[in-house]
Amino acid sequence: MNAIEIKNLNKSYHDFNLKNVSFNVPKGSIVGFIGENGAGKTTTLKAILNLINRDNGTIEILGMNNTSEDKKIKEDIGVVLDGCNFHDSLKTGDISKMMASIYKNWNLSVFQRYLKKFELPENKTVKEYSRGMKMKLQIAVALSHDPKVLILDEATSGLDPIVREEMLDVFMEFIQDEEHAILISSHITSDLDKIADYIVFIHQGEILLNEEKETLLEGMGILKCSEDDFRKLDKEEYIRYRKNQFGFEVLIKDKLALKRKYKEAIVDGVTIEEIMLFYVRGER
Amino acid sequence: MKGLILKDFINLGRSFKSVGVALVALAIIFIPMGNESFISGMIVLMFAMMVITTMSYDDTAKWDTYALTMPITRKEVVRSKYLLLLMLDLTGVVLALALAFVGSFLKGTGITVETLLGILIILMIAVIFGSALIPLIYKFGPEKARLMIVLCAAIPTAVLLIVAKLNVPFPAIGNEETVFGIIMIAMALISLVIFFASYFISVKIYQKKEF
Repeated sequence: MNAIEIKNLNKSYHDFNLKNVSFNVPKGSIVGFIGENGAGKTTTLKAILNLINRDNGTIEILGMNNTSEDKKIKEDIGVVLDGCNFHDSLKTGDISKMMASIYKNWNLSVFQRYLKKFELPENKTVKEYSRGMKMKLQIAVALSHDPKVLILDEATSGLDPIVREEMLDVFMEFIQDEEHAILISSHITSDLDKIADYIVFIHQGEILLNEEKETLLEGMGILKCSEDDFRKLDKEEYIRYRKNQFGFEVLIKDKLALKRKYKEAIVDGVTIEEIMLFYVRGER
Repeated sequence: MKGLILKDFINLGRSFKSVGVALVALAIIFIPMGNESFISGMIVLMFAMMVITTMSYDDTAKWDTYALTMPITRKEVVRSKYLLLLMLDLTGVVLALALAFVGSFLKGTGITVETLLGILIILMIAVIFGSALIPLIYKFGPEKARLMIVLCAAIPTAVLLIVAKLNVPFPAIGNEETVFGIIMIAMALISLVIFFASYFISVKIYQKKEF
C-alpha cells in the first residue's frame, strides 16, 4: 500500500517543465527525492501539496485524491518547507495556540516534548532563533498533530552535522510505525545514504532513477580503467562514464556481473552523490 | 480560520502599541482644539490599514504557502482577512466613539449627532478602502500594491478637490433630514455591496494563485 502515488504529473512553466513524473512512496518507508537545484523537486512537492495547478496527472495521498479531498488529507500530513515560515514576533506558545485551532489532532504535550527534546526556548520569539532552531521548530510543529505522512523539503539543509543526525533519528523513529511514510527532498545525499529506503532522482523535470536504495548501492559500482579497456565494454554494461586525466571512470549497472566477466577489473562501491554526479555530468 | 485571525492579532501586537502612542499624542493635540471628529477618522483608518500590515507580514514570512499545507482551504485564508478587516474597523469605531465621548465630556458639550455621523461615514470609507485594497494585494503582492494604496487614496481626494473647485453644491447637511438619511442608507448599502463583491473577487484571484 502506498502513502503517496504520483502518476504522469506534468506542469509547464515558460522555462521549465515537469515531464510525466510518476513515483510512489510506500507506507513504512522513507523515500529520498534528489536532484540539483532547479531539477523540479520543490515543484513536485508543491504539486503534491496542491500549491500549484498541474497541467495533468493524478496524485493520491493515503488513497485519497489530493485535489478533491485536500482538507482531509492535510490533517494527516506534516510539512516542512525550505526556510522558516513563522512570523518573527511569534513564540512557541502562540504557535501552539494557533495550531490547536487549525489541526483537529493538535497535541500540546507532544509539541512540548519535542520543544524540550530539541532544546527550543519557549520565551524567545522566532526572530531570536538561529537558523537551525527555526528548522527544528518547523519539524516539531510538523510532528505534533499525529501525522501519517511527512513531506520534507530540504528539512536538514540548514543544520549542523550533529543536529542533522538528531533529526534523522527522529525521522527513523517516526517510520517505525508501518502506517507512516516520509518523502524527503534533499541535496545532502549523505543523509539519504543513512535513512532512505528508496531513491527517486529527478533531473531537468524528469525522473531518471527510481529504485530501492540497497539495490542501487549493491548493484552499481565505479570502474576505473584505461580508454582501451573502456572500449571493450558493452553499451549495456554501463550507465554513464566520465573521462579525466588518468583515464576513465565508469558507472556500472551490475558490479558483480562485471567482475565475473573481467576478473582483473577494479570496481569500487558507489554513493548516492556519485550516482547523481555521473547521471548529471557523465556521458552516455 | 480562528487560528489565522489569532496569528494576525499576535503579529499586530507591536503595531497596536505604536498606534496607541500615536493616538494619545493626537488626542492631546486635537481634543483641546475641539477637533475630535478629525482624530476619530484617523483612528478608524489607522485600524483599517492594519489589514494591509498583516498581509505584508505574511508575505515576508512566506506564510501563505505554509498555511496552505495545513487543513485550511484557500477560501478560508481569504475569509480570515475580510473578517479581520471588519474586526479592526469595528475596534477603530469603538475607540473613536470612546474618544469622542471623552472629548465632548471634557468640553461639557455632550456628544453631537455630527460627530456620530462622522464616525459612521468614516467606518464606511474604511470598509470601502479595505475592500478595494485586499484584492489588489492578492493580485499584485503587497510591494506593488503600496503604490496602488497611494492611488486609492489620491484618486477620490483629487475628484473631491476638482468637484470643490467647480463649485458643485454639496447636499447640505441638516436642511433636509430625510434626504440625508437616504444618502446614509445608500452609502451603507454601497459599502456592503463593495465589501462582498471584493470578497468574491479576492477568492477568485486567490484560488488561481500559485505558490
